[in-house]
Amino acid sequence: MTDFLQLTFSGLTTGAAYALVALGFAIVFRGTRAINFAQGEYVMLAGVTAGALHQWADPPVAVVVAAVVLMGALCGLATEVICVRFTRRPDPHTVTLATIGLGVAIKAVVLLVTDRKAYTLPGFSGDATIGIGGAVLDAQALWNCALVAAAAIALAAFLRWLPLGTALRASADDGEMAAASGFSRRSAAAWSFALAGALAAAAGAGLAAVSPVNYDFGTLLGLKGFAAAMLGGLGSMPGAVVGGFAIGLMESWFAGYVSSTYADVVAFSVLLIVLFTRPTGLFAAVRVERV
Amino acid sequence: MDTGRFSPRRLLALTLLLTTPALALGACGSDDDASAGAGSRTDGAAAASGGSGDPIKVGSLFSVTGPPAVVGDKMRKGLELAVEELNAAGGVEGRRLEVVFYDPAGDTAKAVDQTRRLISRDDVDVVVGGGSQSGIALAMQPLLQRADKLFMATEGAREIVQPADERPTTFKSTFNDTVILQRTADFWSARGVDTIGFLPDTSGFGESAKAELERLAPEAGLTVQSESFDPTATNLTPQLTNLRRANPGAYLAWTTTPAATTFLKNAQQLGLDRSLLQLGFGSADPAFYEQAGAAARGALLSAGKLPIYDRLPDSDPQKALITRFADAYEAKYGEPANVFAAQAYDGVQLVAQAISASGGDLSGEALAEALEGLGSYQGVNGDFRYTAEDHSGLGVDAVAISEWDGRRFVPARDGLVSGETTR
Repeated sequence: MTDFLQLTFSGLTTGAAYALVALGFAIVFRGTRAINFAQGEYVMLAGVTAGALHQWADPPVAVVVAAVVLMGALCGLATEVICVRFTRRPDPHTVTLATIGLGVAIKAVVLLVTDRKAYTLPGFSGDATIGIGGAVLDAQALWNCALVAAAAIALAAFLRWLPLGTALRASADDGEMAAASGFSRRSAAAWSFALAGALAAAAGAGLAAVSPVNYDFGTLLGLKGFAAAMLGGLGSMPGAVVGGFAIGLMESWFAGYVSSTYADVVAFSVLLIVLFTRPTGLFAAVRVERV
Repeated sequence: MDTGRFSPRRLLALTLLLTTPALALGACGSDDDASAGAGSRTDGAAAASGGSGDPIKVGSLFSVTGPPAVVGDKMRKGLELAVEELNAAGGVEGRRLEVVFYDPAGDTAKAVDQTRRLISRDDVDVVVGGGSQSGIALAMQPLLQRADKLFMATEGAREIVQPADERPTTFKSTFNDTVILQRTADFWSARGVDTIGFLPDTSGFGESAKAELERLAPEAGLTVQSESFDPTATNLTPQLTNLRRANPGAYLAWTTTPAATTFLKNAQQLGLDRSLLQLGFGSADPAFYEQAGAAARGALLSAGKLPIYDRLPDSDPQKALITRFADAYEAKYGEPANVFAAQAYDGVQLVAQAISASGGDLSGEALAEALEGLGSYQGVNGDFRYTAEDHSGLGVDAVAISEWDGRRFVPARDGLVSGETTR
């Protein structure tokens, strides 16, 4: 029982990261119908930046987090410029492919600039741990879960109640109609990428406090976050959160009870099963079209 | 109308395309950094002061980008330092060393191409460095053997040089993981431990150690429980939780990535005794321990003597040599040297010794014979004693168990093999 609790806590810790990445996929998909495969690299970039900032000036953790979230949003805007504006025919497929290229470039730049070093951040509330039923929960895991909750609620509220959110949804649904009403596809894309960048940055700061982050850390995380987004239903906010935690927990249980060697296969197996059997995910948001 | 929209079928195709490499490589990720592939030549900094005659061409592959970049970068620096020193001293047999370098970025297929280029187009005389990843070195080995080139690998896996009679011109300047694991097992055995919890990563480095420890532990009277993890793992709690059930007397993690830090932090969170935590020589970098903060104090390391060279007794025959290397490296690169830099440095020096001994005969066969005839050569990582049967050369006497005291590594109690050298 203690072991089960421990594995569950461990799954929540990683699941929170997957959920944040999945939320990033969801928002970009909502706003542009494209898939931002640079999302994982943004998490890495934010984690490395947060760690470097801490090492360099040691400001309070809240300042570090605020700074990288701002940087993340700016990176998101830059992505929109690079992958949408500079693209001759910015349809979702082209944008998606452009983000793959951008991801590779970010990784290469971070490798060169950081000289392959790894960075960490102290826990938001120190190295505190909480003992429950013989198992130990890292306080940082709670912080990361709180980040997920805050992000999910803020995003859902934004999309539902704010005029800009409504416009975003409208643009994703029918870009031309939204554009005719005065909200261009491009501003929809810019807002979505900025939000996704900020989410990735929050994930990066939260993760750097759990384990060291280096240039090589974003790719696998991005793919697992994508698996989480697909499991929940691409474009669905609650789906992204549920998908993220589900994958984190499944991985942890699989590692604990079946095989730790093959734990990484869990996310991709789930992804394939979802794609083969229920491509709309658990919380359908993709409109199924016949082609 | 909106053809740009993702249909489920397109999503499936795209996803398969993206995730297949990740799955196939055991999720190690594949990389195509733009900087890879381009070859470069460095004449060492001492081109002017080198000897006369045509230069001796040293082919070299290190992954300075891609997943093994942390390792490859240090190796390249170690190699360049050795070449620079040799050229400054007048070269080898009166000839300057010239390095032809390629970066395979952790990609074996790319490395095979580059190796062919080294042989046919660049016409190199010897090769030092096997791409900073055992799998790459293994793929390069048959090509170089067929071309009768001496191959001095700087990677770890035993299979690169074993069996030696089938790989006559292949040597390596690294510890066999066997040697480090043997010493580690003896160390715990002497402390009365009967079960070791082992956490290897799923790279070739970790897999090889897993097979080896499980093979040799029974001889040392130890039981081994293993739990593997991905090299980019951010959480080792499930593995540690599982191992804890067997109540091991020590926990040993085996990786070259920052997961080393995660291991120390997670073990601390679970309340495991820090003096029972140990990392293998792939983690012999102070940064891994520093970043774990308080969770690292008292944790152990099983590696060569480099991390504690200034704390060695003056009677240690290696002390002066390591000190000279460590100072020169730090002066040149402004960072402390590590075991990977030393492997490449030793590799070049060994090849230079062999070329001198063979009287300048650069055929693979002649150089191999020269290396086997060197007897004992003091390198930074230990005393190399190549024989016709043993092409890795280092023994357990080169292994030191050290302890992180919160700021640096210091020799652990009974950490050094004293007195007679044992093999």
